[in-house]
Amino acid sequence: MSDNEDLELQALQRQLDDAFETTRPRAGFEDDLWSRMQARRPLLARVQDFVAGLLAPVRRVPGAPAAAVAVVLVLAIGIGIISLRGPGGGGGSSATSRESGTAPFAGAATALGAFGRLPAPALQPVPNADTAPKTAGPSGATAGSVVGLYFGPANLVWAGQFNLQVTSAPVYRYAEPTTTTADQFATSLGASPQQGPAAQAGLGSYSGAGFVLGVTGTTPSPLREPFFYLTPDRSTLPAPGPTPTDTANAFLAAHNLVPAWPYVVATVPSADVVRVLYLRQFAVQGVGQTYMVDGVGDRHGLEVDLRGGQPLQAAGPLPVTLDTADYPIISAAQAVKSALASLPAGPASIEPTPTVRLTTVEIVYALAVAGNHSFYEPAFLFSGTFTHNGVTYVKRVLVPAVAA
Amino acid sequence: MRDTSAYDSAVVADRPPFEDLYREFMRRIYAYVRAQVTSSADAEDITAQVFMNAYHAYGRFEPRNTTPAAWLFRIAHNATLDHFRAHGRRERLRRTIEHEPVAEVDPAGVAEERIQYRALLAYVAKLPERQRDAISLRHSGLSFEEVGGLMSCSEDAAKMLYHRALKALRESVQEGTA
Repeated sequence: MSDNEDLELQALQRQLDDAFETTRPRAGFEDDLWSRMQARRPLLARVQDFVAGLLAPVRRVPGAPAAAVAVVLVLAIGIGIISLRGPGGGGGSSATSRESGTAPFAGAATALGAFGRLPAPALQPVPNADTAPKTAGPSGATAGSVVGLYFGPANLVWAGQFNLQVTSAPVYRYAEPTTTTADQFATSLGASPQQGPAAQAGLGSYSGAGFVLGVTGTTPSPLREPFFYLTPDRSTLPAPGPTPTDTANAFLAAHNLVPAWPYVVATVPSADVVRVLYLRQFAVQGVGQTYMVDGVGDRHGLEVDLRGGQPLQAAGPLPVTLDTADYPIISAAQAVKSALASLPAGPASIEPTPTVRLTTVEIVYALAVAGNHSFYEPAFLFSGTFTHNGVTYVKRVLVPAVAA
Repeated sequence: MRDTSAYDSAVVADRPPFEDLYREFMRRIYAYVRAQVTSSADAEDITAQVFMNAYHAYGRFEPRNTTPAAWLFRIAHNATLDHFRAHGRRERLRRTIEHEPVAEVDPAGVAEERIQYRALLAYVAKLPERQRDAISLRHSGLSFEEVGGLMSCSEDAAKMLYHRALKALRESVQEGTA
């Protein structure tokens, strides 16, 4: 078998891994089926199972005081009878539901690899979308004469330096929010559900004093986590601040939308609009703060658009509860090898196939969508530039960092 | 009458609670089934049947003889065969040949499957039955030993079958995108 053929088959195997790993039933199916199975169980079996679930950890602790076991038993029977009402509370599991109580298997996780096998994050450009870089981009690679990003096939060469000192990184998981989550978020901003056709969009549409609000769930295309869109009534806005960032900060603070996560502020002017970006960061021990990127590899977070110095719209990630677990990550050599063997994220649009020298790499976080739960996962973002017909393009390659 | 099904016996012997199995394997089983059938609605029906069957048979599951994965995938394999028998392989082929769209019960469910992989799984679904099974079982996380056990062949034969299937899939994809 030739090296090329071998690489092709390996790439196909990776695609198959991803395809099987990310093929999920519709949202709610997992819970629905579990509920149906629970409903078929007789009450006695459910009580027995619940007690057994609570006793299991006690059995694993040598010399647990008998009195403590007795107390656990009494509590277990009491709690078990009270909580036999469906997948969220019943079933005898040691798993605990978090805030919303809608995800029976959710819970804070800290063990290595505690979420099991993960879907792989990938660049997912939207066909025919404008792929001109919106921000200063990773490592400043998109500055200057760059007019766009290229996702098609390329002959990739690694020409950079890559020293990686870390062997693990956290993965973050969230449960897909429901309309209830969206309603609660809207209520926290002082908004109430809108009536009429707009109310059907996304998870909900709301109106508050001087603004309207839309909330959407996770979308695979364009790749985006649950998002809010707050549009103010521009006739009632206060005077602009001294700088766009001041105005955006004041606007977010007034609506209780200042991000709770770490961020770096960047400002990008475009025609008559100035976009103030709050670029989201995730901490990786041994590396420091790393940026989150979107489906085309641009740094990503919350955005406030200003026109004439006044806010047009704020859009950003819906606050969701994140569980976290550490995962081992691949070595620098493995990352480079994977980058060079990677499949293109988009169709060929430049002939002949360009040769691209990848010169920079950074650890980033990217969204991996997977039905009821999605993940923010560490990845390596490689990039390099090439020129075609006098135009400079950026080629980016995203390599999942988590070791399979 | 005393219940003698899954949960009574789940707390004895070395069996993990059924919930643990469900939690670990539900999505893998769904993905395996989804690679065999043409609609997500069928995949959900079969997956539900698999876990209902497994739930009722859990009392008879003997962990010393087989792994939970092999046990569940055998039930899934049989349930998928039953589905084809019940609905007719011929009808499925006719739909494929005529490109008749298959009704999706829940359009929202479609959106949750990653679009770029659906095409790949569609190619898998068109492979000959044993090749399709070898790829689906292997990429659902089973070892070659487990794949061989489920397909009534040796571990080495399972490896050969898988690699042949992989090459056939690659050719099929290349022809389809050429």
